Amino acid sequence: MDRYVSDQIELPFTEGGPPFTRADLIFGGVDHSGASFEARVFFNNPDADERTPTEAEHGYAGRFVVFGHGGCAGEEGHCDVPPDQNASDDLRLPHPLTPATKPVVVTDAFKRLTEARVTITVVPVLPGADGPRREDVLFFESVELTTYV
Amino acid sequence: MPTIPLSPRVPRPRIRWRRSVDKLTAPQLAHVREAYTGIQAIGDDRGYQHHAGVHGLPLPIYCQHTIGQQFANLFLPWHRAYLYFFERALRDRVPTLAQPWWDWTAPAPTNAAIPSAYADRQAGGAANPLYSVRINAQAMNQAKQSGINLPPTTRRQPGLPGTALPTADEVAQLLAIGDYFTFSNQLEDLHGAVHVYVGGDTGHMSQVPLAAYDPIFWAHHAMIDRIWRMWQLRHPSPSFTADYLNTALPPFSLTVAQTLDVGAMGYDYAAGTTSVRVSG
Repeated sequence: MDRYVSDQIELPFTEGGPPFTRADLIFGGVDHSGASFEARVFFNNPDADERTPTEAEHGYAGRFVVFGHGGCAGEEGHCDVPPDQNASDDLRLPHPLTPATKPVVVTDAFKRLTEARVTITVVPVLPGADGPRREDVLFFESVELTTYV
Repeated sequence: MPTIPLSPRVPRPRIRWRRSVDKLTAPQLAHVREAYTGIQAIGDDRGYQHHAGVHGLPLPIYCQHTIGQQFANLFLPWHRAYLYFFERALRDRVPTLAQPWWDWTAPAPTNAAIPSAYADRQAGGAANPLYSVRINAQAMNQAKQSGINLPPTTRRQPGLPGTALPTADEVAQLLAIGDYFTFSNQLEDLHGAVHVYVGGDTGHMSQVPLAAYDPIFWAHHAMIDRIWRMWQLRHPSPSFTADYLNTALPPFSLTVAQTLDVGAMGYDYAAGTTSVRVSG
């Protein structure tokens, strides 16, 4: 996808709830087999795009970077990630294109939230001579908000 | 009264100081260039093409970057081992050499933040071996097959809109993180941002399979390794499982545990050094 906008997510802790010292957004199953890009994360700014300033007043929460493999150099099947790499008798290192987990520390942005719900927008930004670009390069399976006391 | 046995003396290798590329003296920079020129002229497995290819193409791709949480995070130890073996190959050309590091938190005002040691096309009347490298045909053919259409000579596109170098504040925040794996994950993100900053849209540093052919790759990773070293000094007793410590780092003959002590590996980091020979 060239941009991800979540539904409204109910926050796990509302006012008066347990305190926290850190909040992470944990993106799971992030594909890194293609282009390299920076994924910018915004709270409550569903219209954010590649030109939106990375500032708190625009809901900017943080980023993760995908350092991409740029495609598959092998023959057919070479870049297929085996489905069962956790087998106890498989001592090989995992396939290099195994989807990644990308935690983004969003503590400050999370503390700025004033409502009990949040919309998460993720914008993949690629460098471009005429300005930052957005392409269909963002693929991930899950996003989880985790707070720590 | 029980006697306390003296610890056996464990010989420690002589420490080589990896210095900031911006603080190299002229003779030190000349030695770096001499070593790179030497290694780039060798076509076998002592040479530059072999070492650069270990990271990416030609296949197999050995580099380790963070993947799913259920797998060991080998980003830092694997690249420390990688840099170590590359530096040893450089020292086979110039015995006093240590790989310099690029402090990308203090960008120079010119050359779009690439240090002049790496940005200058010429040095001493000859092609600067730190500027670019021609990539072997096997790697380029495989890159083309994967859809990477870049020229066979490395190039950079630094500082395009949409990219930024990490700041000193960001590094300071990293160093305050107590958990090793959280630190490693966050540092890997800064590392990726530098790759994209240097490579831009059509440069080799932006592509995992070809990035290590660009000579600035090694100075960038020396900076990453230096930040890990600084973190280790602040957090000297991280908790690792035996499984993690015993994980091998192919193709290198080292485990994770063997990468934790840079002193045992014979190097450490300094901003700059100078010395005087005393005779008599």
